[in-house]
Amino acid sequence: MQLYDQLTFNRQIFLRHRMRTFLLLLAVAIGVASVILLTSLGEGARRYIDREFSALGNRLLVVLPGRKETTGGAPPIYGSVPRDLTLEDANALARISGVLAMAPIIAGTTSVARGSRSREVITLGTTDAFFRVRKMDVGSGARLTARSQTEALAICVLGITLKRELFGSERALGEWVRVGDRRMRVVGVLEERGESLGLDMRDLLLIPVRTAEQLFDSPGLFRVIMDIAPSADSARIEQKILDTIGHRHDGDQDVTVVSQDAMLAAFNNILTAVTLAITAISSISLLVAGILIMNISLISVSQRRSEIGLLKAIGANSKQIKQLFVGESLMLISMGSLAGIAFAFSLIVIVTRLWPAFPLWPPVWAVPAAVLMAVLTGLVFSITPARRAAALDPVLALRGLQK
Amino acid sequence: MNLRDSSSWILRALWIQRTRTLLTIVGFSIGIAAMVLLSALGEGLRLFVLNEFTQFGSHIVAVTPGKTETFGVAGLLNTTRPLSLDDASAISHLPNVEQVVPVVMGNAKIKIGHRARYTDVAGVGGAAVSGWKLELAEGTFLPQDDLQRPRSLAVLGHTLRQELFPGTNPVGEFIRIGGERFRIVGALEPKGEFLGTDLDDMVFIPAGKGLQLFNRQSLMEVDIFYNPRSTSTAMAERISRLLIERHGFEDFTLVTQDQVLATMDNILLVLSLAAAGLGAISLLVGAVGITTILMITVTERTAEVGLLRALGGTVSTVRLLFLGEALVLGLIGGICGVLLVIALLLITWLFIPGLPIALSPIIVFGALGIAILIGLLAGSQPAARAARLTPIDALRAE
Repeated sequence: MQLYDQLTFNRQIFLRHRMRTFLLLLAVAIGVASVILLTSLGEGARRYIDREFSALGNRLLVVLPGRKETTGGAPPIYGSVPRDLTLEDANALARISGVLAMAPIIAGTTSVARGSRSREVITLGTTDAFFRVRKMDVGSGARLTARSQTEALAICVLGITLKRELFGSERALGEWVRVGDRRMRVVGVLEERGESLGLDMRDLLLIPVRTAEQLFDSPGLFRVIMDIAPSADSARIEQKILDTIGHRHDGDQDVTVVSQDAMLAAFNNILTAVTLAITAISSISLLVAGILIMNISLISVSQRRSEIGLLKAIGANSKQIKQLFVGESLMLISMGSLAGIAFAFSLIVIVTRLWPAFPLWPPVWAVPAAVLMAVLTGLVFSITPARRAAALDPVLALRGLQK
Repeated sequence: MNLRDSSSWILRALWIQRTRTLLTIVGFSIGIAAMVLLSALGEGLRLFVLNEFTQFGSHIVAVTPGKTETFGVAGLLNTTRPLSLDDASAISHLPNVEQVVPVVMGNAKIKIGHRARYTDVAGVGGAAVSGWKLELAEGTFLPQDDLQRPRSLAVLGHTLRQELFPGTNPVGEFIRIGGERFRIVGALEPKGEFLGTDLDDMVFIPAGKGLQLFNRQSLMEVDIFYNPRSTSTAMAERISRLLIERHGFEDFTLVTQDQVLATMDNILLVLSLAAAGLGAISLLVGAVGITTILMITVTERTAEVGLLRALGGTVSTVRLLFLGEALVLGLIGGICGVLLVIALLLITWLFIPGLPIALSPIIVFGALGIAILIGLLAGSQPAARAARLTPIDALRAE
């Protein structure tokens, strides 16, 4: 029996049982589509975070004051330590070779007021390097000037939401606002941009770092973020940072350095694990579809008893009969898989059109893995029915009798 | 046709096609099992987190400095609107307030002789021992004295004690925390983590000392434990009024335990539902299986249906018979699925006893209900098809 013959043979059967075939295809398609869609969700989340991080350039180091001995635990997030990490420390770190830019950050909350309007916002005391390190820019006006590294200038840059709340549609540049107990002139407004690494860039106030020292009456930096050269060895720089701080702090290396690579790797590991778990769960539906295929094949074998008898009587051997039934399952599986893939991808395309911000797309292995799993279940579950068909006695089968 | 007749008809029909019935039930029960297992996991996670939050009791109000609603971080940052120890002691004089725990957290180097360890430092009040449900292994906790005149006393968490004083009693010893000398008055039993913070690898000192050590003006948080006779809204209002009176305007954020729980519960409920939805995909495939098999059954038994109609069976009898078949398949599938899950859970518990899985009766009966419902839905199309057959044509099909 040639392949063409077999395909025609199976096609006739599918056409004869349209409803049944349709339902089987549906079952397989649901399984395949769910595997693809769910892995896409996991992969989309991974890509989203990846993109968030790489928007900052992928060579970023964050220095936090404080240190913890427990390996693998969370870094010290509080930012309060007996010996502050100061701006002078940060300037020393900036001189390490391989460090392209360094932005010190003093973080706090304060109220910003203009006339009777007032708003409590997160305030970052930093320098012009912050814009470079965080790859962001002002939408209008100017950034913090280079002088903000050394002088407590009374200037500030507003986030876009903060600007709208205080000024509405009026012009903010050059106007004065009251920040805490000081007056500051607005020199710039940040460009429209959403949350970045958990910090809402729209509702934010940027002031020079020296001004923040005075405003919060504390020289303690909350974080130091730095951009390092693509060619630099980040492990060496991390060690250099610890050494520098050790020198300046009487031998106490009381800071923690977190590299962007390490953060990204941690996120990647978690999300890959979640994606794999979701894949495993959704492939249960393929198992259920496989059982359904076996059930239908068994029914089909018993219904087509005389047909099989005839085939055997005109010379078909057991192997060919087996092939016929396994082939039938495989055809169903491949058509179902195709339908599932088509459905999954059209849904993905629709979703990405509606929410372009979320990069929903299956990982490269998802489609082959889903199809492979479907084909394997199809093979495994069609073996029993095919064996049963092949074992039929031609004479009895032709008469339509049980063995 | 009475109930007994129809049930014996249905059961016989299913029994004659044993293999087919068995496979259908297996497929469907795997679907049910997937859904039950995932719901149980989601529910277990929900209970675990809620438990984590309510372990300190539910009559708590937390005050943080600043008015920004940045969940959690705001207290850590600098602020131009400090929340002082005076505020904390003023709150403690309000009626119905049982305990007030001022909190300032930080990180410092702990030194004893030549041993040193960088770790978290919690500046708290003496009330933290009962408020945070800490248990003492040795000595006493920080005394409940005047917040403004803190003494240099410290209490060690379990891990820290093991690291610094392996095998010896630390009470009465002196340690240096960030250069300052503290006398150890007690050591704690293991407490574990809370929201990612290891409470064992931590040293507890008076809040006033903490503020000095970290050169801060403001507390990070004040936890207020109130009498259960009062309500959270009444307490929140009273505290809010007091602080506004002291500060001139509202420059702080008040969060009651109720609000936190409600928010958490919502998030976790969504998570639970998503997990159940994931399991439901397999169930959907199982349902397609039931429909397919019943379709085939209807076609095969056309003659039987014709005979039944010729003998006086009504359209609704025929429909009910096939629906009954679907229902029995769904129900047995459901029961098998639940049993499968229970067996899996028992095996899992043997190996990982701590896994947070909660198989509540709601989930079990909900799953059975869904199984029956889906069975009926899956059977409705084939049953309608069977009912549409005219007796003459159906009989002739033989």
